[in-house]
Amino acid sequence: MPLIDRRSLQHFDWVLTGLVAILVVAGLANLYSATSGPEGVVSGELRRQLMVLGVGTFAMLAVLVIDYRHLERLAPLVYVGAVGLLVLTLAIAPVIRGAQAWISYGPFRLQPSELAKIALVVALARFFHRHGAGMRSMRDLAVPALIAAVPVGLIVLQRDMGVALLTLLVATSYLPFVRISARAWGFVAAAGVASAAGLWLFVLKEYQRSRILDFIDPGRDPLSSGYQAIQSRIAVGSGGFFGKGWLDGTQSQLRFLPTQHTDFAFSVFAEEWGLFGCTLILALYLSMLLWGLWIARNSRDRFGAMLAVGLVGTLFWPAAINVAMVLGLAPVIGVPLPFFSYGGSALLAALLSVGLLLNVSMRRYMF
Amino acid sequence: MGGFRPGVEVSLEGPLRFLALTLCVTFGVFFLRLFQLQVLEGEALRVRSERNFVRSMRVDAPRGDILERDGEVLATTRPAFGVAVIPSELREPERTWTVLGTLLADDPEKLAERVGAPRGRSRYQPVHLATDLQFEELARVETHRYALPGVVTDVKARRDYIEGPLAAHVLGTLGQISEAELETRAFAGYRSGAIVGKSGVEALLESTLAGREGGRNVVVDVAGREMELLAEVRPVRGGTVVLSLDIDLQRAALAALQEPGPEAVPAGSVVALDVKTGDILAMVSHPSYDPNDFAAGIDPETWAGLRDDEWKPLQNRAVSGQYPPGSTYKPIVAAAALEDRVIGRKERVFCPGQFRLGRRVYRCWKRQGHGWVDVHDALKHSCDVFFYTVGLRLGVDRIARYAETFGLGRPTGAPLDERAGLVPTADWKKRRFGEPWVEGETVSAAIGQGFNLVTPLQLAVVYAALANGGRILEPRLVRSRFDSQGTLVEQPGEVVRSQLELSAPVLRAVQGGLEGVVMEPGGTGGRARVPGWRIAGKTGTAQVVSLKHTEGRGDDIPVRYRDHAWFAAIAPVDDPEIALVVLVEHGGGGGAVAAPIAGKVLSAWFDGRVPAERVAGAGGSRAVD
Repeated sequence: MPLIDRRSLQHFDWVLTGLVAILVVAGLANLYSATSGPEGVVSGELRRQLMVLGVGTFAMLAVLVIDYRHLERLAPLVYVGAVGLLVLTLAIAPVIRGAQAWISYGPFRLQPSELAKIALVVALARFFHRHGAGMRSMRDLAVPALIAAVPVGLIVLQRDMGVALLTLLVATSYLPFVRISARAWGFVAAAGVASAAGLWLFVLKEYQRSRILDFIDPGRDPLSSGYQAIQSRIAVGSGGFFGKGWLDGTQSQLRFLPTQHTDFAFSVFAEEWGLFGCTLILALYLSMLLWGLWIARNSRDRFGAMLAVGLVGTLFWPAAINVAMVLGLAPVIGVPLPFFSYGGSALLAALLSVGLLLNVSMRRYMF
Repeated sequence: MGGFRPGVEVSLEGPLRFLALTLCVTFGVFFLRLFQLQVLEGEALRVRSERNFVRSMRVDAPRGDILERDGEVLATTRPAFGVAVIPSELREPERTWTVLGTLLADDPEKLAERVGAPRGRSRYQPVHLATDLQFEELARVETHRYALPGVVTDVKARRDYIEGPLAAHVLGTLGQISEAELETRAFAGYRSGAIVGKSGVEALLESTLAGREGGRNVVVDVAGREMELLAEVRPVRGGTVVLSLDIDLQRAALAALQEPGPEAVPAGSVVALDVKTGDILAMVSHPSYDPNDFAAGIDPETWAGLRDDEWKPLQNRAVSGQYPPGSTYKPIVAAAALEDRVIGRKERVFCPGQFRLGRRVYRCWKRQGHGWVDVHDALKHSCDVFFYTVGLRLGVDRIARYAETFGLGRPTGAPLDERAGLVPTADWKKRRFGEPWVEGETVSAAIGQGFNLVTPLQLAVVYAALANGGRILEPRLVRSRFDSQGTLVEQPGEVVRSQLELSAPVLRAVQGGLEGVVMEPGGTGGRARVPGWRIAGKTGTAQVVSLKHTEGRGDDIPVRYRDHAWFAAIAPVDDPEIALVVLVEHGGGGGAVAAPIAGKVLSAWFDGRVPAERVAGAGGSRAVD
């Protein structure tokens, strides 16, 4: 069987590709503004991001070659591989900024937890593909819960709370497909509250707790994380209708914003492009995600649909949490905005998600 | 479209709709929030961003003081006032340059040139015109500042080494933290760009001296002036460190070393130890550098000058300079020979001025020979033939074993970047060169030549042990440490690393010989005398190259080929207080060059004190052995 036949090429999804391309270009332009010095030289961050973009695009295209149906069979292997990688990270990775999340080889540094999200989606898609129709009781939820819990637990052990939370949320994307009673939903909710409380009491570090408290009361400690929230709010608000113009945001160009090229990249954008630009970008994200759901709806089989739903989740959750944080609607959590925030592993993971979505999309007419 | 393709259950439709709705609602909320921030509150926030910046600034912690043993301050932290211009805020450039030129006593055109006409975002970056003004100069700028928009002043904590180069190698230097340091546990919590101790006490006691950084959130106007203080966390000053150094002795030692004699000293070292506690009383390494140059961030030319200087001013010769000990090694060989009874205390050896071993002839430094000498005379006159003889009787490995018990061949344990020196053995030579040891090398080793290498500090530990009854002390540099509240944190006690297994009569015999060197007529170290005090010591003249390069050339010898001059002293003999080592690199003869320096340092040590027991003047009395 040829890996890519003429028919699937005919149905190549130019809409999704186009949407992602615009987002990527906008993200790079914004990263240039956020990182280049006063002399306007191309920063090392931008150069590295471009390099990852090259590698990621290649990976995205490579993913297209193999029909996603093979992934259904390979799912356990992918999942075990990802879990293995997470265990390896815990074993060999050095502690960097409090987290033990990066493994490096020479100049290359990989954050396996970013890729684990996609492996988890593949595994859950297979599960819901095979058992989805028959799920009726709480007991049926135990297996997918376990599938999700193992990588989430390992990422918690790495002390990378942002990605751990994301991975958990990605898994919850499947909840609407579970048909269980209202009482069972009550149990799920109770379990959620209990684990949140456990997290607060036993896992979160002092500074992480203080960030959440800062969100509730930003004036509490204006010197540290509350400061970021206030500065971000000023940056976003001062953008107004049309923004201050590219490279002309005073808040960001004068470096009032810490981590403005990573977690707060969107506030740089909001300051320089205003409501007009932000609405455009949010519309692009929304279109991309809805298009992803459309791909799920039109998928040839249930596995494809479930895969697409999960992949939409891997793109939606970080975007939603990051934008909410920048706009002061959520606490300061270190979660990158896909295609906008500087960070190689996150960009690579986002491009892989897009590649798999394209894969499902272009094979929708095949039998 | 209309419905799903075969194989996909229709049941997906509902949940997918739910998800799509969730997406739309989420992004709808984002849009409303953006509308609220950017349109409804936009004007207010825009004003805040343009007129009133909230700046979060770090406030460096003042580094703690370093004191010498009597409380005199060696290193402290002082304010350094700076003046800068923010180009985007300049209103009347011409007038600004004229006024600043007068205030800073600088050429207005040069000032204008330094700021230039930056474009784009660099207009917002302050350009510093002065970084270390006197307070009066700052006050003058301050009074005119409101008439000069765009001119800002700041104050930074600057390390101040009050004595400049005097104890530079002990105090060490500051510098920006390196990438490698940032990843280590010791520097957990440091940010990149932090200034940390790089060498000496600054590095050793970084955790005590550093203090804790503070911060300020201030509202500043567009000109960078502080309008309002929103929040402040005060920095915590670093703790205080009291060193064992006696700065007066240190000063005297440097002066003695630098005093222009017949030959100016290009390089050398002086080390003084308290023989009872191991306290490092003085540690001079010459030439030196000014650590203040590093405190402000050293400029590349000064750095290159220091790094490439042929006399290596950055090296602490007292601990990392390794030199052949020459005749200062003889007391060790003498002690070994007496203790192992290869020679009796009164046994004499005839010195005809040379020593024949097989076909080779080894000369004594005195051509005419010393005649019949016992161990006392051999030390006093530094007779080479005597030590060739007993050295051969001992054999190299036995000499090495004793040298090692004196602490040679390994670092002394002082908290500085030390070299280990070298004590050769037959095994070592086999391993190092793959060749067997030959007896001629034992002859050289017995007079501290050949492969032997010591640091001045190691030699000081040896002489301290000869003075204190055989205790090998770990040199102590820090007397006490206090935290930022002034509470005593640590007061290290003295550390005895080992006890020499030398009998009392042997020690007394060696000490007697050493006293003869200084106090008796004909001793090689007479020029180290201090009137009224009994002093013991040993000269050393360490060959750098073999005799054939230098023989008969007198003053023609290039500096690099000249001998190192040593003098090691113990004083006073009746109740020893101090062990002193003087090294003059390529200085020539120990007795002629190093001994007088030692004498000056010792007289500074005794300054103003009356000896417990008067000693007859220049002639001196023969010590009891």
